[in-house]
Amino acid sequence: MMRASPVQDCLSSSATRRDINGMSTVWSTPEDLQGDTLGLCDRSCLTRWGVKGAGAAAWLTALGLPVPQHPNQWCALPEDGLIARLGTTEFLIEDGWEGAIAPQLAQQMANLPSKVYPVLRQDLAIALTGCAVPDLLRQTCSVNFQALDLTEQPVILTSMIGVSVVVIPGDRAGRPFYRIWCDGTFGVYLWQTLVTIAQDLGGGPIGAAYLYDLELGR
Amino acid sequence: MKLMTCPINGQRPISEFFYGGELRPMPDPATADDATWADYIFNQNNVPGLKQEWWCHTPSNTWFIAERHTLTDEIQRTYLYGSQVLEEVSP
Repeated sequence: MMRASPVQDCLSSSATRRDINGMSTVWSTPEDLQGDTLGLCDRSCLTRWGVKGAGAAAWLTALGLPVPQHPNQWCALPEDGLIARLGTTEFLIEDGWEGAIAPQLAQQMANLPSKVYPVLRQDLAIALTGCAVPDLLRQTCSVNFQALDLTEQPVILTSMIGVSVVVIPGDRAGRPFYRIWCDGTFGVYLWQTLVTIAQDLGGGPIGAAYLYDLELGR
Repeated sequence: MKLMTCPINGQRPISEFFYGGELRPMPDPATADDATWADYIFNQNNVPGLKQEWWCHTPSNTWFIAERHTLTDEIQRTYLYGSQVLEEVSP
């Protein structure tokens, strides 16, 4: 099955592409090194699935998945990926570059118990990386991410340039590393605006290979 | 910047919130007469004072109750519906 990124038409046509999970993805660009300063990477190709309802936490636990105990918290999946608790009864499950749990969960959609409901996730998923990420966030968002305790693995649901987003702040290799999701229909606006600001700050779009190495520590 | 505290997401700018109207007990539509039902639908109590109101944190779609003084615009507290005993605060 072919999938398309919400920002497919905004991505560089001259970049090296690779098919990941059925989605044509920008893998590398000549500007990838600007990720050290401020890089935006489209990671919509990663498989994800959502589930919500009063029985969702118990159902995920019964499947042997780690479930964040508190609202707006995330934890890592055993293979590669994450599970984020959005509020009290909704969860976002996203595979990493080498994980495959989300498609397995989606296959069980027809056999969900009561009070467990699937949530179709067709998000724009991006990552921000580089030392200038806080500068970009200060221009686009009202949350003070610097005050967060990253060891508590927080999930922030807020508004970024008027678009509702889910943000997981973090760091990799000593530099800020933020994962952001938004509804795909707002994707082009969010992407183009962030790219414009990033370019003002000396950064810009980068390929997924940069993130692949960063996230897997290679 | 005007701030409001969502019971789940914490303190955020007011631009992230949406007003959902005053919390009012709904008469039983099966037993209420027309006058009572029409009063519930069309008439609002606009006397300034401490009101219980529905508000929504739009990025997370979290609906909750805010106790807000409509004269001073002071928000006294916020909480999830059902998490506390609702007291009659409207005049």
